[in-house]
Amino acid sequence: MSDHPTTRSAPPADSAALAGRLRAPVAGAAVALVLTGAILAGSRNLDNFDVALLGYAIGTVVLGFGAAYRTVLWAESPAARRYLVRGWKAILKPGPGLPKSVVRRTALSTLLLQRFIAERSTARWLAHQGLFWGVISASLITFPLTFGWIHFRAVEGTESLYWIYMNGVRTISVDALGSAGWLMFHGLNFSAVLVIGGGAWFLYQRWSERGNNLTRFGRDLLPLIALIAISVSGLLLTVSSSFMDGFAYQPLAFIHMCTVVLTLVWIPFGKFFHTVQRPAMIGIHLHKEASLASGGSLECRVCGAEIEGAVFVGDLQKTMAELGLDYSGWVETCPACKRIARGASYRTDVKAGF
Amino acid sequence: MRKKALFIDPGRCIGCQACVAACRECDSHKGRSMIHLDYVDMGNSAAAMPTVCMHCSDPVAPCAQVCPVDAIPVGTDGVVGTASPELCIGCGNCVHACPFGVPKLDIPEMLQYKCDLCYDRSSQGLLPMCASVCPTDALFYGTYDELVAKRPNARAVDVFDFGNQSVVTGNALVAPAGGEDVIPGGYSVWNEFLSEEKV
Amino acid sequence: MRKQLQILAPGVAAFRKEAKRPGNYVSEERGETMVATHCCYCGVQCGMYLRVSTDGKVFGVEPRNHDINKLKLCPKGVTAYQQVNHRDRLTKPLMRDRRGDPLREVSWDEALDRVVSEIRRIQKTYGNDAFAVYSGSSLATEKCYLMGKFARVALATKHVDYNGRLCMVSAAAANKKAFGVDRAANPWSDMLEADVIMLLGANVGECFPVATQYFWGARDKGAKLITVDPRETPIARTADIHVPVRPGTDAAFLNGVLHVIEREGLIDTEFIRSRTTGWDAVKAGLPFYTPEKTGEICGLDPALITRVGLTWGRANKAMAFHARGIEHHIQGVDNCLTVINLCLATGQFGAPGKGYGTITGQGNGQGGREHGQKSDQLPGQRLIEDPAAREHICRVWGITDDELPRAGTSAVEMVHQAEAGEIKGWLGICNNPMVSMPSAGRIAGGFDCLEFHCQIDFFLSETCDRADVVLPGTSWAEDEGISTNAEGRVVKYNKASDPPGDAKPDWWIVCEIARRLGRHADKFQFESSREIFEELRVASKGGQADYSGMTYERIEETGGIFWPCTSEDHPGTPRLFEERFHHPDGLARFHAVEWRPPAEEVDSKYPLKLTTGRTVAHYLSGNQTRRIDALVQQTPRPWVEVHPSLGYANGDPVRVSTRRGSATYPALVVSTIRPDTVFIPYHWAGRVAANLMTVDALDPTSKIPEFKVCSCRIEMGTEIDIPPPPPVPPGGQVYEEVGAFDKRQPSAPQGRGTGRG
Repeated sequence: MSDHPTTRSAPPADSAALAGRLRAPVAGAAVALVLTGAILAGSRNLDNFDVALLGYAIGTVVLGFGAAYRTVLWAESPAARRYLVRGWKAILKPGPGLPKSVVRRTALSTLLLQRFIAERSTARWLAHQGLFWGVISASLITFPLTFGWIHFRAVEGTESLYWIYMNGVRTISVDALGSAGWLMFHGLNFSAVLVIGGGAWFLYQRWSERGNNLTRFGRDLLPLIALIAISVSGLLLTVSSSFMDGFAYQPLAFIHMCTVVLTLVWIPFGKFFHTVQRPAMIGIHLHKEASLASGGSLECRVCGAEIEGAVFVGDLQKTMAELGLDYSGWVETCPACKRIARGASYRTDVKAGF
Repeated sequence: MRKKALFIDPGRCIGCQACVAACRECDSHKGRSMIHLDYVDMGNSAAAMPTVCMHCSDPVAPCAQVCPVDAIPVGTDGVVGTASPELCIGCGNCVHACPFGVPKLDIPEMLQYKCDLCYDRSSQGLLPMCASVCPTDALFYGTYDELVAKRPNARAVDVFDFGNQSVVTGNALVAPAGGEDVIPGGYSVWNEFLSEEKV
Repeated sequence: MRKQLQILAPGVAAFRKEAKRPGNYVSEERGETMVATHCCYCGVQCGMYLRVSTDGKVFGVEPRNHDINKLKLCPKGVTAYQQVNHRDRLTKPLMRDRRGDPLREVSWDEALDRVVSEIRRIQKTYGNDAFAVYSGSSLATEKCYLMGKFARVALATKHVDYNGRLCMVSAAAANKKAFGVDRAANPWSDMLEADVIMLLGANVGECFPVATQYFWGARDKGAKLITVDPRETPIARTADIHVPVRPGTDAAFLNGVLHVIEREGLIDTEFIRSRTTGWDAVKAGLPFYTPEKTGEICGLDPALITRVGLTWGRANKAMAFHARGIEHHIQGVDNCLTVINLCLATGQFGAPGKGYGTITGQGNGQGGREHGQKSDQLPGQRLIEDPAAREHICRVWGITDDELPRAGTSAVEMVHQAEAGEIKGWLGICNNPMVSMPSAGRIAGGFDCLEFHCQIDFFLSETCDRADVVLPGTSWAEDEGISTNAEGRVVKYNKASDPPGDAKPDWWIVCEIARRLGRHADKFQFESSREIFEELRVASKGGQADYSGMTYERIEETGGIFWPCTSEDHPGTPRLFEERFHHPDGLARFHAVEWRPPAEEVDSKYPLKLTTGRTVAHYLSGNQTRRIDALVQQTPRPWVEVHPSLGYANGDPVRVSTRRGSATYPALVVSTIRPDTVFIPYHWAGRVAANLMTVDALDPTSKIPEFKVCSCRIEMGTEIDIPPPPPVPPGGQVYEEVGAFDKRQPSAPQGRGTGRG
């Protein structure tokens, strides 16, 4: 099986469509520009910018471009566009049938706790939570540092006290040898441990699971290897500086940067894109719930069983029409009745009385 | 149809559900059956029909087309896969867009499941579990030539009629020789039935 | 998570069940080996591989391209492996001190000492014959052989019988009478050459699903299929001729068919002259059975009978197969004899496409009745009253003729003897009479009269649940041994894993009891199944079922050997009767059969006929299959199948009553059953057991109960009876009642579809 679906309709040819074709690169460029601006502003025109982190910053800007580009392409498919709009409307303007508490609960259980993975298996959930929180915490720490939004200066006259500057503004001081400081300066190490644990579980799973010949290296293994490589090289940097007097620190730092930058640049194109897609679709279940309350449910035309919300089915029918699937009326029949109808007509029309 | 395809002959089905049980034994989805077994004329006949994914080739995989997150992969070999667990959001679009009523949905897991032709087995030359165990070869896996060699009076049809839309599939249904080249998908039949009822 | 569920569209929730895993599957096994073996269930004996993890646990199944089944399996076969590591397995001996106490776990010594002391006490007080052994045919042949030897040598009791008595013993008796040997005449592959195949009282699509490929393989090559069954079963659905015969009138129907054939001059006079005797008596009885008269008796259109007669009579090559449908009658032997008469009169024997056979219901139904656990037989299909047979077996066993008991009584009779106080102690293995014997109420009463009851099994059956001592045996995957399928082909089970906990191989348990009892203890010094097999070979030598040329290795290499196999270079005998039948004169015997009505005729109070049978997802008394999630999901409960003309709707609570009992089932309204007949599957226990209602009338020759017809009445009930959950050992996880989690009704005789209730 190929990595990506081959279902995108061909780009339209007229002039209005030219704009359509430009939409993705423009969006990508815009996001890249905004990121660059933010870096400039946050670091006070690069005053606080650490030149050693230049590679990371460039990688992030490229990521911004790619993610926006891919997102726009993705959102152009009829189903995705419709659901993105529906979902975000449900979140931002929840109707009367959708209490805020439900929105919050869904966000919490789906996005942060990822309970649906726990339903698949507890071990998988633990591993994914490790990966998830490891990556989130590492991003929260490194991106501001990379952009120069946060930097540290030693408090003069002390051994271990540092001022934290945010956006160039001095805030509080921390003791690097104290517990808070220790946690702060080793945050990335904790992230690395979480990521390595989670990633290793998934790798082991991929390797040992029966029926694992569906695993594809590029799609399934490389992302895990990349995350683990980032974490291991990052941890080695700590080992080098803390225990080995900086032995091989520079080459390690370079390797680490390479792994990070390559991963960043790759995010929009592989499995990692689900980190964009799934949060973007968080609202769709809320929409289904809200629209069911407002629009009622649709019953199977044959057996009368409840199929889905009427609004949902209407949306699907519009989507199918846009895709040129000319049997959208069939959606109003439940799957079991579809099969039985096909069997019954086979029994009457194809092989009589089988 | 695919070069090696599943040929389904409802006329041979004895409704024993060996396929349903065997599907659960496939390693890539152990414990979960992706096959449907329906009794198509309950009360009047013991007739039954298994439904596996037909792997639509024209239009290509409607389920994948309506997926909002591109979770359903379509291979260059025409095999339409089960939803990728990391992408699928469990919205149910594919369940209802499928003209054959194939995909299943696990709501708590937010995950769709459907027949992927036992890709882990068939890609290695093993028979898909269902076709392997089917006691009567109502589910037969092989080439068209192998099929007609076994059943001289049989013919395979891979075009289904859904009203205005015809769907060409990778797997095929077995029909008696000499019949139509299109098999009714049930849509038109029900439409007529329902409109008659309204009148 | 439940909160999460609530915010989803309720309509979608209906599809959730479809995708959800149905139970306790474990897929985290690493590494594996495949053990080639055969299925433990029906008489087809499909080949399969058991998948075994590196730590020795059976965790899956892989289809095996064996000659018999060619990769194919039925839903029971696919899930058979789930018995092996099932949470309900008995892992410790269980015992209760007095009736009514709960079972408790005890040591092997304590349990065996109790068994031995009770046997001694009962035999000393009431005589040796007061202790009965009731065995089963789902055991490997080695164990079947051992059970007969154990009863006769270690217990010196004449009371030994087996559960084939409830299964195919009518066919066995008829075969013996007609051919002088009891075995299917042909390998099933012969079917592919036939022009006409007649299938009588055999729901092949459900009871032997994998055998369907032979019947339909023949049809693909142009053969005509005739089915005879009061219900239009899955295999009857597309048959060329389906004969919906009234239950209990099979002999009349077959006489009618033979009448047509004789009238049309389609009999094979040359075959009758040269290879049979007794035709004149049969012919003399035929004039009565005109199509009109037969149609009246059987509730059939006379033209249908003529059509069957012409189709069969004009066939160049024809084969007949039957199963329990015509055997479970007080005229069971006669019914089988009429089929044989038909085949003999048209010369359909001894060639590919020509032949006859019974389809044994139990896995080792054939092998189990050949080696001396039958009340009137000794190993090798020898008759126990035959002096030459007694002499041979006494020599093999090293006992004197005085020590070898005479013929005993049959299974159901033994329970009735217990009721009458003649039998006081009972050792059961591999059976579940509480579910499987007719008139279950009386059976339970009979067991209550016993002073001591020991049962050996690997799940706690309903019968074990009432026993004083329960000894944990092994499943088929935990020991090696041979089994003989419906064709007469001997295949081999291989050991895939060790018994769980303290469970022991059945042969060890039985030998240990014999050793502790002390009577001929030296005759039970077996250390393995193979040693028993070696003795079995010697014991069977010279008998009809001669296994003496078989070795485990040969069976494995060949994919199965058909007996008789008289020496190690003998290839086995796939097809019988090519030149001669097995009576001393080499001729087959015709038997004139006059149709007699069943034990119970319908009357105004009980106006309908009740017939019972199997469904595809379950096996016999259900002790094995009612614990497998996937099978319970397919068919969670029994039902009563009624014709639409009786005026019920699907799912109505219908109360079925006979003179012996009543129960309320959901109605499954189908036009595929005769209007004068209702059907209930018999796999369930307790208040929904179909055998609460069946009649315990027995065939005078084979002593088979008349499961397949009795008179009943149906009426609208109030509430559907819930099937009791299967019993579990002390401390086991108790099952929910089906009604508590699943109120849906059956949707078809084969179970429930995956789509909706």
